[in-house]
Amino acid sequence: MKIAVVGKGGSGKTTTSAVIARVLARQGATVVALDGDTNPNLGLSLGLGVEETERLVGMRQALDAEEGEHASDWDSLLDVFGSDGPDGVRFAVVSQIDNPDPGCPCCGLSPEQLLGNVDPADVTVVADLEAGIGTLTRLGDNAVDIVVVVVEPVPKSMEVGTRAAAVAVEKGIKRLVIVANRVRDPDDLDAINAAFPGQEIVVVPDDGAIVEADRRGVAPLDMAPEAPAVQALSALAEQLVPV
Amino acid sequence: MLSVAFVGKGGAGKSALAGTFARLLARAAGPVLVIDSDPMPGLALSLGVPVTDAGIPDDATVERPEGEDGPRFKLRPGLSASEAVERYAAKGPDGVRLLQFGKLREHVGALMRSQHAFHQIREELPVDRWHLVGDLPGGTRQPFFGWTRFASTVLVVVEPSEKGILSARRLARLSEGEHPPDEILAVVNKARHDDDAARVESRTGLRVAATVPWDAAVADAERVGRAPVDAAPDSAAVQAVASLVDQLHSGERP
Repeated sequence: MKIAVVGKGGSGKTTTSAVIARVLARQGATVVALDGDTNPNLGLSLGLGVEETERLVGMRQALDAEEGEHASDWDSLLDVFGSDGPDGVRFAVVSQIDNPDPGCPCCGLSPEQLLGNVDPADVTVVADLEAGIGTLTRLGDNAVDIVVVVVEPVPKSMEVGTRAAAVAVEKGIKRLVIVANRVRDPDDLDAINAAFPGQEIVVVPDDGAIVEADRRGVAPLDMAPEAPAVQALSALAEQLVPV
Repeated sequence: MLSVAFVGKGGAGKSALAGTFARLLARAAGPVLVIDSDPMPGLALSLGVPVTDAGIPDDATVERPEGEDGPRFKLRPGLSASEAVERYAAKGPDGVRLLQFGKLREHVGALMRSQHAFHQIREELPVDRWHLVGDLPGGTRQPFFGWTRFASTVLVVVEPSEKGILSARRLARLSEGEHPPDEILAVVNKARHDDDAARVESRTGLRVAATVPWDAAVADAERVGRAPVDAAPDSAAVQAVASLVDQLHSGERP
């Protein structure tokens, strides 16, 4: 099972990815979380802390500088570039680098190629993609099973979100979920419903707890598991993959 | 003339600040050309310009002759960068002009001409005609590909969150790049705590040129797709940007 999370920068992709990954792991799935953003911050939202997040990013940058260790396949990629996060989520940074070694399984593949190439048995992959729709437009058919589009009830965010949703539909992605994030009132929800007619929409309320968790650089799931936004994202995760 | 590029993590508020900055600079100091490098929409709304998708038309470009170095397309012979701006940059309030990279649609290939022309204009534009205000795509990638090269001042927009600070620390390394700007400054955006600026300064090593408070009026303007400078001219956030304009335009640094 492969899940890709997309949306405009700042819409809440990374927070959404982190909660989904950890809740699926708590349900018993073997979860690999991949950070495909070239400005990678998923480690923070998973709860790995600043230092470990930067260490993993640094290894990716070392490859770019033509230093550091490469990996020969998917398993060793997770060994070399991965880290064990809370709830047993295995986490790795796989963002595109500027000086790839063509054909190398660890750095010669863009995130979209990596997602297309691997389909590890009995593993759930949660991929936080680069802001915007670039990676999504380049995904091959059947590269992912579920696309989660995170969107705020703001024109700029909905513009990116509707384009992402259109691409997912065009690609015949099996399941498309719209996460309506930072919803404050019925008007916000009306705006989202109007922009995504007929789509599966999950409402996540505007919640100061997420802002505070971001400020501290900790996982919302650790800091405020009972907060309404965290509850809404947890509920989404629970019904995303059949246990 | 000022040349300022706004960079930062996606969602930090680059477009809202760049749009507000450009409008206020135009009122204070004359002709402003806004160069929107982001293939995602947004800046036109924050600027109050009633266009959302105005690339450079195909007939402004020609295919580069074989054997000539450079990208595949270039401005057609006889069309200078300045003339291209006069013709193709959208007109906005306060006399601002907006030159767009071309918005990402389904087929990236259709934009190639516009984007090559855009980069050429940015490279060749005379430096004494316009104040330049640039808005880059979110993240760290494009700034390191020379997309800020036109700017002598790079403003890193930072939300005072750990993700924002990590992103700003990465962008601070532009000073070690091939074409470092004269100065890289931080602008703290959506500040909610008294110590936010001090935190950003100590963690990123960047001087904080301005602290823009979290402001519900700006958030409301964004929700309805209006320019903060039109929807909330007296808000604390817009006032903070006005101070930043004064500071950069006067050339005085604290």
